[in-house]
Amino acid sequence: MRLARETDSILSDWRDRALRFEAEIGKVVLGQQRVIRLLTIATFARGHVLLEGDVGVGKTTLLRAMARAIGGAFERIEGTIDLMPADLVYHAHLGEDGKPRIDPGPLLRQGEALSVFFFNEINRARPQVHSLLLRLMAERSVSAFNREYRFPHVQVFADRNRVEREETFELPAAARDRFLMEVQVAMPAGEEARRRLVFDPRFHNVDALLTEVEPGVLDPQALETVARVIQLGVHASPALEAYVLALWEAVRAPHSHGVSVESVDMARFVQGGASPRGLSYLVRAARVRAWLEGRDMIVPEDLRAVFPEVMTHRIFVDPVYELRREKLVGELIAGIFARVPAP
Amino acid sequence: MRRTVRHLVLCLAGLLPMAVVLLAAPPAGAQLRSVELYAPRPFGHVIGDTLALSADIVLEAPFRLDPASLPRPRSLDYWLELTDVRLTDGGTRDGAQRYTLELTYQTFYAPLEPKRLAIPAVPLTATDGARQVAITVPPWSFLMSPLREIVAIGEGTTMALRPDIAPRPVATTGTRYGLLAALAGVVAGLGLLAWQMGWWPFSRRRDRPFAHAAREVRAALASSAKPAASSTSPASAPGHRAALLALHRAFDATAGQGVFAEDLPDFFRAHPAFATTEAEVRRLFAASRRLFFGDDPIESAREFPPAELVALARRLRAGERGGA
Repeated sequence: MRLARETDSILSDWRDRALRFEAEIGKVVLGQQRVIRLLTIATFARGHVLLEGDVGVGKTTLLRAMARAIGGAFERIEGTIDLMPADLVYHAHLGEDGKPRIDPGPLLRQGEALSVFFFNEINRARPQVHSLLLRLMAERSVSAFNREYRFPHVQVFADRNRVEREETFELPAAARDRFLMEVQVAMPAGEEARRRLVFDPRFHNVDALLTEVEPGVLDPQALETVARVIQLGVHASPALEAYVLALWEAVRAPHSHGVSVESVDMARFVQGGASPRGLSYLVRAARVRAWLEGRDMIVPEDLRAVFPEVMTHRIFVDPVYELRREKLVGELIAGIFARVPAP
Repeated sequence: MRRTVRHLVLCLAGLLPMAVVLLAAPPAGAQLRSVELYAPRPFGHVIGDTLALSADIVLEAPFRLDPASLPRPRSLDYWLELTDVRLTDGGTRDGAQRYTLELTYQTFYAPLEPKRLAIPAVPLTATDGARQVAITVPPWSFLMSPLREIVAIGEGTTMALRPDIAPRPVATTGTRYGLLAALAGVVAGLGLLAWQMGWWPFSRRRDRPFAHAAREVRAALASSAKPAASSTSPASAPGHRAALLALHRAFDATAGQGVFAEDLPDFFRAHPAFATTEAEVRRLFAASRRLFFGDDPIESAREFPPAELVALARRLRAGERGGA
């Protein structure tokens, strides 16, 4: 009983911090409330996030603001076509004495304290780098200097430019599946926000702007514990479990649930995907969302709020439809939520 | 000369069917100006005929016919019956009071050969208040003829009853069409009513999901009421769940997509017909959330008692009917 009360107070205490965290980021990133909310959910679900969007909509600013607000050590690296895994792990240079030296690279430099690792333009890096990243995300460890480095608190943010396709490497499905969410960053919503972003000189200097964010609102060392308490404290009823399974079933076989997308042959549209890991991520994110809304139970709204970001990149569609997948999968998910009855 | 007179008599006879004009003798004291009797043809009448006589009576102005002196319809003789007497007041004009007296007789005389019969004169009284004057509608005679010969030539033929006249068929087409039209109207009216109310065969009407849901809620609660009588926690009865589910499905069908508690503002914006029930519906969704996702049926039933479900379902149905 006492423990339960303690859990409750921890949860409500951290909920206030989470909302403050959102507010801090909202100060410097305008018109992206939904993205901020999703990234907060990902942070408290301890999941990695892949951001996708146009150039210059504020992806990097957003991630830098988040890293600052989360606190802890922050590292970033730019993806280029000649980037090799060793470039992440090792830093080779000439010492002051003129001898070549090898020091820990960006990934290892901060040691175990690394809390946010930001990979810019991830699709420009080669598959070798992707596989290193895969291990970092899946196991939170890398091997270097003949030993294993562990990063218990690391959270990987990556971003990807979706316009350019030349000289890029598509992420392997296994790597994409490791991302909790794939978030589309669109143009800032609202005319007022756009006007301010363009004309207010405050937004012109990103470095100065970011100093307005209060650093270390969240404690990266404690996040892991809080995330576990959230997962234990928010429960799912049998009715909701049945609903999740029904959603899953509908994703795998949309035509048998009467879901249809215009000009798409539903029988062959979905080729696979929606792995059990994906579904467990979905429930994990839904729990965090329920907690942020101040509830101790998951409701269908929570699932619907995180479903597109968590599930879209896990659904593999027929190659014929691959080029239009964003739009078509979006319609598929909307159709599933319209068709599958809840509870 | 004789020929001429004869011709004249024939001419007069030809006029007779129209009217027999009998000018009465100048009345005593000249209070009576004239009595003119109009009669049907004076021959060719057979047993059972009615004879309509009409008398125009003109009196000096202050004098009026005494209604008490009018004959009453009655049997006048063993063969003659006065069946109707009708007096019409023609009003006063040029110092003359005019009346039309219509007398209808029926004769039952059965003559063996043509026979002259007479209808007797009718005595009347006129008065001006003080004096009384006797007036007489003159008698009228006519020829009655037998219906058949005295001795039948062919045995039995004349006496045989002629077949009855076939009854004329009553015109029923109009009535039949009227009946059909009325029936069609009733069926169409019932159909419209059923369509509007969502009754069978429109019970699965897609734009009347709440009509369907209201029925299901009632049925679900009724079916769960029986076992619940012995159960300790009626709130957890499956009927309650089923009733809530029915309502949720109706909301989904109305909106065309899943409606969750967070979607209610949009729902009421899109369907203003339900706005009057907004507070209750919010409470319903909260209770349903508690039941299905919070696993707390007791609290849920307290928040929205199952008994209120029926009333809410009715109101939603009414809203749907009014706003659809």
